[in-house]
Formats: sequence, structure tokens, C-alpha cells
Amino acid sequence: MNKLVNRRRVLRGAAGITVGLPFLDCFLNSSGTALAATNAQLPVCFGTWWQGLGMTPGRWVPDKVGAGYEVKVEMRALTPFRDKMNIISGTKYFMDGRPLETHTTGWQIGSTGRIPLGINSGASLDSQIADVIGTKTRFRSIEVSLDGSTQSYSKRAGSASNPSEGSPSKLYARIFGPEFKDPNAADFTPDPKVMARRSVLSYVADERKDVMKQLGASDRARLDEYFSALRQIEQQLDIELQKPAPLAACTVPTAFGETQPGKDIVEAGKNSKLFGGLLAHALACGQTRVFNINVGAGGLRKAGSTQGWHSWTHEEPIDEKLGYQKEVTSFIEWGNETFAELLRQLEGVKEGSGNVLDRTVILWQSDHGIARTHTMDFLPILTVGKAGGRLKTGIHVSAAGDPATRVGLTMQQIMGVPLSSWGALSNETSKTVTEIVA
Amino acid sequence: MIGKVVRTPKSLFRTGLRAGFAVGVLMAGVAAAPAHAVETRTFVIGWFSEATYSQDNDCVGGINPNIDDQYLKNLADLGYTPSQIEEMAKKELDGENSPIRGLMTSRARVDGKPANPYAYPAFVVDPKLKSSTSNLAYGFDLDGKPGPVEDPQTRQKGIDNEFARALGCMRSFRGSLESRPTYYAWAWGQLKDSMPAWVVTISAESLSKDGDVTVTFDRAFEHLRSNADGSPRADATYRIDPDPRSHNVLHGKLKGKELTFDTPVDFRLMQNPLMAPMEFKMTKAKLRLTLKDDGSISGIVGGYMPWSEFYLGLGTQGPGTEYCITGDIPGIYYLLKKFADADPDPKTGQNRAISAAYYLEAVPAFIASESAQATQHAPARE
Amino acid sequence: MKTTARLLSGAAFTALSLGAALAADAPAEVDTSTVARRLTADEYRTIITDVFGPTIELGGRFEPELRVKGLLAVGTTHVSVTSAGMEQYDVMARAIANQVVDAKHRDLIPCRPANDKAADDACTGTFMAKVGRLLYRRPLTDAELKTYVGAARVATAETKDYWNGLSMSLAAMLSSPKFLFRQVAIVPEPGKPGQWRMEAHAKAQQLSFFLWNAGPDLELLAAAERGDLDTKKGLAKQVDRMMASSRVEAGVRAFFIDNLGFDEFDTLTKDAALFPKFSAQAAADAQEQTLKTIVDLLLTHKGDYRDVFTTKKTFLTQELASIYKVPLVNDGPNGAPDTWVPFEFSKDDPRGGILTQVAFTALHSPPGRGSPTLRGKALREVLLCQKVPAPPAAVKFDIVQDTNNPLYKTARERLKAHATNPVCAGCHKIIDPMGLALENFDGAGAYRLTENGVPIDTSGSLDGVNFTNSAELGKAIHDNPASSSCLVSRLSSYATGRPIDTGMPWAQALLKNFSAGGYKLPDLMRDIALSDDFFSVTPPDTKAAEAAAPNQPAR
Repeated sequence: MNKLVNRRRVLRGAAGITVGLPFLDCFLNSSGTALAATNAQLPVCFGTWWQGLGMTPGRWVPDKVGAGYEVKVEMRALTPFRDKMNIISGTKYFMDGRPLETHTTGWQIGSTGRIPLGINSGASLDSQIADVIGTKTRFRSIEVSLDGSTQSYSKRAGSASNPSEGSPSKLYARIFGPEFKDPNAADFTPDPKVMARRSVLSYVADERKDVMKQLGASDRARLDEYFSALRQIEQQLDIELQKPAPLAACTVPTAFGETQPGKDIVEAGKNSKLFGGLLAHALACGQTRVFNINVGAGGLRKAGSTQGWHSWTHEEPIDEKLGYQKEVTSFIEWGNETFAELLRQLEGVKEGSGNVLDRTVILWQSDHGIARTHTMDFLPILTVGKAGGRLKTGIHVSAAGDPATRVGLTMQQIMGVPLSSWGALSNETSKTVTEIVA
Repeated sequence: MIGKVVRTPKSLFRTGLRAGFAVGVLMAGVAAAPAHAVETRTFVIGWFSEATYSQDNDCVGGINPNIDDQYLKNLADLGYTPSQIEEMAKKELDGENSPIRGLMTSRARVDGKPANPYAYPAFVVDPKLKSSTSNLAYGFDLDGKPGPVEDPQTRQKGIDNEFARALGCMRSFRGSLESRPTYYAWAWGQLKDSMPAWVVTISAESLSKDGDVTVTFDRAFEHLRSNADGSPRADATYRIDPDPRSHNVLHGKLKGKELTFDTPVDFRLMQNPLMAPMEFKMTKAKLRLTLKDDGSISGIVGGYMPWSEFYLGLGTQGPGTEYCITGDIPGIYYLLKKFADADPDPKTGQNRAISAAYYLEAVPAFIASESAQATQHAPARE
Repeated sequence: MKTTARLLSGAAFTALSLGAALAADAPAEVDTSTVARRLTADEYRTIITDVFGPTIELGGRFEPELRVKGLLAVGTTHVSVTSAGMEQYDVMARAIANQVVDAKHRDLIPCRPANDKAADDACTGTFMAKVGRLLYRRPLTDAELKTYVGAARVATAETKDYWNGLSMSLAAMLSSPKFLFRQVAIVPEPGKPGQWRMEAHAKAQQLSFFLWNAGPDLELLAAAERGDLDTKKGLAKQVDRMMASSRVEAGVRAFFIDNLGFDEFDTLTKDAALFPKFSAQAAADAQEQTLKTIVDLLLTHKGDYRDVFTTKKTFLTQELASIYKVPLVNDGPNGAPDTWVPFEFSKDDPRGGILTQVAFTALHSPPGRGSPTLRGKALREVLLCQKVPAPPAAVKFDIVQDTNNPLYKTARERLKAHATNPVCAGCHKIIDPMGLALENFDGAGAYRLTENGVPIDTSGSLDGVNFTNSAELGKAIHDNPASSSCLVSRLSSYATGRPIDTGMPWAQALLKNFSAGGYKLPDLMRDIALSDDFFSVTPPDTKAAEAAAPNQPAR
């Protein structure tokens, strides 16, 4: 180890590149206590909110496209988040002549970009993302459901779904039970692969630098930009090789007892709030960086009512005077209120001048577009959160007739999944939603 | 397992053409048209559903209960006591394992034993669902007899549309031409992107002059092509499936923008089994169409429909569709049976057909004929 | 095996030992260089596919490119790498390198280490020398090779895995500026003190990127190393070989994608309520339609370039056919993907020529309407190389934009009302008449004869030539000398990465030959590729030259 570090020093001296000294100190000081990175950014997180049964036309999609859109009545509860949120309207799941399995096909395309052929189905986008950002956390991802079921839309290629946890108290035990280790007290061992990458970069620094000797002045100025960009990569690696910054916001939430399973919307809403708080703390404590929330809309009902959200969508006539389905719209509004409360939980955990939501993006998708007719077009999609500055927000993008997979591709790309296109057949796209990429 | 629907390999289609199926079908259409027919317009159907005209107060005491409440009634019909039913309902509401669904999917009684109610609807206690009392319904006078029902569009009386009466108090079969009934909106939405489309050809000496007109209906190989906003795409090209079962020819009159086809015909279009009826079939069918300024057409087709096929379309879908979309399926069986008004069974006297009317909208389309490749070089319409 | 890479396979590879690689070393006496162009996304992809095979997934995404003087190719000499872009290059490089060493692709590596857990400099050297020559488009210097062998050794030591080490070293090479930028090495012109010329490998990549939109193949590299490219005869032999290859289509497509601004399709949107037929597929098919039309006419049939504005022949998919309102059969089963079908409009049809295609009419229209002004401007600027001034500040456009105004039912009437303002009238006079001839195509390219119920008047004039419809406009552009001189200017600018104005002597000379030969694009490409100007270099910055240490192999 010493030998390598010394060589690095020599190489740096020769090349005249200044790299932050803390990196070297990190290797020279085995205690590690005084070596926390000072300017390390907290990592980005990704979440999904799968809420079935779409939306009501005229009550969800803003009329205004671009920034400063108006929040429609069905989305009212999300008004406080307007500037942290993007709406992508008008996209479609393509069938390519394949038979439709209502409620199933939409999720398949929304989560994996394709209608599976046989059992060899693809991975869901959240697990692709978890493979990039979630490899070093205790949980690669956490799945929860609001209706108490184990269903989720998160899956690895060719395998079954990652089951959801339906009980907040069980999730508490899973995250903050006896297995929980305070991340700030944990030992730190640098990843040998990262060390190797850093060594390689140092090793080739001179070879790269000699390109400058062969250039004219204007080209040299351009290559200067390349080298400063390269230095950022090196610095990122340096940060990864140091003991992570203390997670100042990490606290263990207060334990609570078993709650009612989320059969009616009141209980589901309570559970969602508890899940939100737990996930916020789990993210703040570095336990996971990816989470999936399945609302499980179909079976949810109002307390005392015999009829569920899903049967309302089919059976409720359009109110002639109002021009929409009253009950259905109230369920969708409930969904958005519940979502807003979960967002507030994420905002509630402060990290320095920001909060957990700031470094997160949550993708909100549905299996169908228009609630009443279960369309495969007019799909409602939201993204909430700036993903640590990787997304622009406060924008309504109208993408009528485009594959919905554009949004999934964008999410995966900003999370660093090496991917230039996503999906299959007509659902394949290489066109990201450029309007929202920072 | 999901598999790609490969109905017609290229070679088969070609062979079919050469064998003269498509040519024959097409020629039949043209030959049957007035000999000097010069103007032909072709369309693809972009919306098809029962023609409903639901009004406030057309169901005495309100429409039929929602399915959960209906199930509680059905439990009583099965002999459960009010306290037993209350207990089951409480479990259902509490999200515990309630026996209701299980009891409902076996609520038929064959030889006293529980049986599938969708396969044996006649062995379920008739839930006596309500039917519409309205005397306004789209359609035609099919039997030539006077009657109280009036078409709200044509104001013609003596309309035969007992289907509208039978299902007029079922939630998802209520609606207007504009606010589409939920059952059809759902089924069409599910099928339009995969089910082979239906195409329409209208031929006349001139479509801007009153006179004789011929219309044909056929099934295409391709599903309906959609626009970016999900609406049916105009000016797409469809090939006609030579299967004669879905070939229909009607002769009628053009007056102004209205086309009427009063000579009764047998009418049949194959469709995807997800939709009831499993195939669209009518006897003594009449038709009216309107040429619209935007180039599309809409209209009503009415006739006698074998109600058992409509029932089977729902029955084969079973409990999921009953619970989520249609409401009590054996109840619908009894409604259809009760209001059936034609084609009596010679043995039992039970009518096997029910008068009905369906509504269609179609947008301009190209239809490939035998000379398809040649028409690819033809000047197109604006 | 499917993973066979175009350039890494074959006997030449296995015969090459480390020693041989080093012997084939080094452009001699490279002193300085000029104008480094950043690889375009397509060039990067093509090189990776050529070197490692088509089964390598690239992953990642590319930074936006920059349009300078109408071309992204000229922009490549202005762009650098941002930190976000660098992150992506780094991700892609690692993704590619990991695949190259994985079990599926390991056959690309012609040797095996003595021990999977330890470094093997000989094997690494063999591989990196060969790959390096293809990625850097020249042999590695001794010092460079030693660096990458050493980098692999270091990484192997830290990860205790030879393949990991090799992968990391390869990844480093893939994010090196020597790969990402097309550096142009120059050498003093022999016998002409103070004059410089492109070094042979620089010539090779100049040729291959222009003609094939790809890096040099092994034969071209060998020709460079033999000195063939420094002789007229040797150069002509290589150019003729490359022009005869099917890969020239990629070169032609890349030029027209750049010249016609198809990158703007990435951000093009249409109001779906007004233009429901303009789907994502329609947008993609529209670009391909124009490219297919061009390739078929200019390459397959060696036609007259000017006919791209008048040809009635094109290719359509079913999606496009419904926009043009013509029938087009897909012979496949229900749900089969759309097919491309050759299609010919009739002689008197207003449709025909690339100006009437969706890729032109829709691209140069705002989201909610057509725009004779934008189309006319694009026509002047893109196809005739004429500069149209930007509109003056603080002009009100509400009359033009309100397509529902009952007083002005057609675009012509709206523009007439708008251009009463004398400040605007001057420019509108030179751009609108051309755009108005395309008013039979709405904002998404759909064919129409009326607007708001009023028949559309498509008459106009271009530089004194009158026309009554889009077909005659196409003929007017065809006959206008600016359309062919503009192509010469754009293609030579594209080839060299620096603006070549129509008035420059080289452009004049090229135009003369182009016109004399009947306006054949392949002839023009050949002419450019054989020109001294194509390989000419800017005199080096003397200070830089003095400061630069000789870049000799450290043998």
C-alpha cells in the first residue's frame, strides 16, 4: 500500500496536477477519524410510486405546457410540490398487436419497457437503477405496499417480483431492528475496485497530458476543459475512497406498534405516512437508496363502502352535470393527498440546508391512462424531486403519443444506468425527456 | 402465456389473394353496386357500441345495485340469514378472508350442489334485476308493428330495441352516444390496438347526389391504427380478410348526407371474444349512416341479435368481469331471456333473439384490393 | 461467432506479437497538431462496433453537439467535454471494457494470461497495441503502450484479477482525449521549410470519417504506414476503394443528417390536438424517408444531386402514408412492424422532392401551425447557404400566430397583414414566397388543399423565377445555381470541420467539376477526398511548436 501511495505522489508531482490532499491522508492515517470528506455530496436516491387506475380527463393534465403550469383539481394536494415536480402527459403503452391483459400489460411496459415474451421477462427500471446506486447500501431496495399485500412491480431480469412489505411496524423492525448498525460508527474499508480505478487514472495521467504538447493554443484551451472534467472524476473516486461523510441527519425513528392493514383508504393513508417516515430515515441513514411503493389501488375502498376504487371506475356513470365520475375522482384525489403526505415525510428529514427529498426523485406511474376506460394512452406520469440537481423541475411536458418509456429511460440515465435506449418494439425509445434533464 | 397473434402468414395471404378469396369478396361488393357506380369511399370503424339513450328516471327506484350490494342480496337468495350475511359483510369490509367471493362464484345449484353460475346461469336464482321503462331508444321498426318506443333521432315510432330495455338499468350499459357506456368504452379500449379492424365501403354513382347506394362491411387483417392522441387514425390502409363470414352487403338510398338501408339483411362481423357478443350477429338488420363534414361517418345498425351469444361473451369472462365491470352476469341472462322478442324455439317457444341497435363511427381509410400495389401509385384524396 | 469485431478479427491480428506492434510504432517526427475534433456520437458508436463487434452495448449518452456555420461537424472543432459529459464517457468506457473481457467476448483477446490472478504484461501488450492502434487511429508510441500495460498491471495487483486489470486499462484508453478527439498530427512539408502537412495517419482518419463516418480500417492504416496516402496514386487507390464500399452510405447519411439538422427532431414537439398524426414513429420515419430518398437517388442510382428537390420517387411506411394520404399495404400479419415500401408520386402531384417531405415541412414549423417564414428561412439558409437576418426585436407576431382569426384564414393572408410593417417586409419578401409554396403541407407535414375552408394559393417566386406550387418550387431550387454551390460548400465544410464558403477557390474548383460531371454526389466526395485542401492544415502556433517536446518513442 505504501509503495503505491508513494508512487502516486511522485506521479502527481511529475504531472503537476494538484489533487486534494485528503485522499493521500486517508491512506496514511489508519484511524480515519479526521478524514471525512468535506465537500462530498450526499448520494442520489430513487423511488417509485405505482398507483393504478390512471386519472380523470380534464381534471389532471394541466392546460399549460412548460414551466409555471397550473395544478388541476385532481392534483390539488400536490400544489405545494409544483415546483419540485414534473408532469409528463399524453404518453402511451404500445401493444404491437399483442393481446392486452388489462392492468398487467401496462405495469409490464411501465416497469420493464416491454411486454414479456414467455417467462424471460426483463428487469424493472428500479432494479436497474439499484444495480448502479444501491450496491453499497444494506438494502439494495425496499418495497412497500399501501394495501397490505405483498405485490410489487420491482423485479430482476427473469425472476419473480421483489415482494412488498405491507406492515409499517414490520418494516421498522427490518430496518431499525437489532440488525441496524449506526452508519456513523461503522468501519470503513475502501473498495479495491475503486482503488484500482483511481490507480489507473493516476497511471495514465501523463500519457493523457502529453496530448497537450501536441496542440495549438485554441485546442489547448478546449482540452483544458477536458482535464478539469477528468479531475472531477478523480475527485469523485477520491471521495469514494474516504470514509463517507457522517450522516448527520441519521436518527433512529421512534418505534410504533402494529397498525391496521391498509384495506380502506384511511388505514392505507396512515400506513403510507408511517412508511414515508421510515423510508425518509432509511435514506438519511444510508440503509437504502432505492424504494418502491405500490399503492395497490384496485382493492382500496372507503370505510363502510362495499365498493372498491376499481369497481367504481367501471360501474360509476359519468355525472351528467359534472361531466366526470365523482367517486373515482375522489379516490384519485385521495391517492394524491397520500402521495403528498409521503413527500412531506421525506422533506421532513433535514440534511444541512436541504432535505431527503432534494436528493431523491420519485417516479409516479400508472397501469392505465383514463380511469373509466382503462386506456393504454393518455398516461399520467409524475416525477418529484430534483435528484440532487440532476433534474429540472416545475415543468409540464406534453408528449402525446410518445412511448411512456421515454420517462423510464430518462430516470435510468440520470441515475447513471449506462443505457442509450430502453424498451422493446414500439415501446423502445432513445429519446429522453430533455426538457427535465438538468 | 402471451403469444403473438400470427393470423395470416404472408404467403397464405398472397395465396388467398390468388385463390380469389379477396378478389371474389371485393368483386362481389362492386358487382352488387349499381353497374355505373363511380364514387367509392372507404372507412375504418373507430368506435362501436350498443346505441344507448339513458335518461334520468328511466329506472323505477334507481338503477340496479352495485355488485357488492347485489352479492348480499344473492346471499339471501342462497338462503343465508341476515345475521350470517351481516357477519360475512363485516369480514369483507375488514379485509379479512370473507367467504362471499367464493360463495358467489359457485352460486348456481345443479342437483343441489354448488356450480359455476356463469356456465349454468339458469341454475342460479333469478336476482330479478330491474329493466328500463324508457320509451326512447335508437333503432328501427323491425317487425312492422306499431309500438310505444320512439327513436330520439328519427322520431320514428314502433322501434324494436328490447336490448336497450333489458340492460338499461345496468350501470355499465348506461350512457349516450357521446358519453360512451362504460362496458363498451372499456372493451373497445382494450381491444382496439390488437383486434382486427372492421372496414366499410360506400359506393354510389355520386355521393353528392341523391340516389341508390351500396355499403359493404368487412373485417380487415390489421387492427385499427391510432393517432398520437389515441383517436382513430384517418387515411391508414387496411387489407380485407377474405373470410366470408364477416362480409356484408347492404343496398339503400342516399338523400343529402343521410344513407338509409331499409331492406333487412343478415349481418355478421367476427370480433375478439373479450367483447360480448363474441361475434356480432344480427338478422333482419337495417342500417342508417350519416356522411359528416369532417369526412367521417356515423350511424346505427339494428336487428335481431341471438342473445345467448351475447350472454356467452360475458359468461366466459366470469367473476372478474362481473365484479369489476358488468355487474350480476346470471342476472343479465335472465334479463335477456325475458326481453327476447324474436325467433321462438319451436319446442319451447322461448325467443332466441332480441331486438337491438348498435352505434358506429368510422374515419376515412384506404382499403387494399387485389390491385393494392397499383393503387400505391394512384393519386390520393386530399 | 456473432461477437466477431470487424477490425479485431482475422489473421492479421493473431500474427501480431507485442514486438511487431512496437516495431510498427509511432508516427515519426510529429511536432504539433491542429484542430482537434471531438468524436460525434455516431463516430464513437461506429468505432466501438467496428473494433469490438455489434454485441457490445454502449450504454450511456452523449453530450449535445454544437452547430457552427450550419453544421455540427464544424461544431466538433469548438466543443470540449463537460464534467457531466466526462462522467458519461467514463461510464461508457467502463461498460464497454467490462464487456470486452467478459466470457462472451473474451475471444477478442488473442492470448491468455499465465495466471488469471496476476498481471501478464506480454498478453496485455499484445492486446493493447492492437486495440490502441484502432482506437487512436494510429499505432501507440512505446511510452503509451508501456503506460497501458503498466496501468493494467497496477489494477490487476489491486483487484487480484487479470481481466479486471485489463478492463480498467482499456477503459482508461477509451476515455483518453487521444481517443475522444480527432487529433490532427502535422509534419513539416518535406523540402518546403515553414510549410506543414497532415501526417499520414491523420490523413487516414480524415478520409474515413468523411467517407464512412467511421475510423480507418486496417487496410487504410496500413496504407498510411506504407506512405501510400502521401502519393496521389496511393491516395486515389484508397479513395476509390472506400467509395466502392457499401460503407459509403453511412458517410452520406451522416452528412445529410447533419446538414438537414435532423438532431432538432430530438426536441421537436407538435400539439397532438392539432396534429394527431404526428406520432413518435412518424417523426422517426420522416427522417428515414428523406435519407432513403437521398441515398437511393444519389448513391444507388448515381443521380443528379439537384433532383433531390424534384424526384417523385421515395419510400414510405404505413405511418407516413396516412400522413401523405396515400394507400400503402403492409404485407405482414396483424401487429407486424411497419414496412418500408418504394413509392412514386404521379408526375403532376405537388408532392415530391425532399422539401415536401415531413422531415422538412414539420421540422421547420412551430408546434401548433405551419410556418411559411420558418420554411422559407430554412430553405434559404440550409439549401441555398444564404443568411437571413433575425427578426427585429419587439415585433408583434400575434397576427401570424392566430390561425383562428376569421379575417385571415390562410397563412398568406396572415403574413400579408403582418408584413405591412416595413421593418419586417424586407425580409419576409425574400423568405415567404418560397415558404408559401409549401402551404399544401400543414405544420406536421400532412397534405392539404385548403386552410380553414379556403383554397390555398401556393404561388410565389424565387430569385425572379415564378412558380405556382411546391413541385415548381422544387424545380426552381433545382435550377438555382445556389443549391449546388451550397452543397459543395456544406460538404467540404463537413469534411474538413472548418467553414468553406462558396466563394473560396477550392469550393469554386469543386463546383466546376461537380457541374461538369452532372452533379453526382459520389464524384464530389471523391474530388474532395483527393484535394490538397482536404488535408491542408493551419500553420501551427509557433510558440506551441517551440514549447512542445519532441514526442519520440522512448526506446
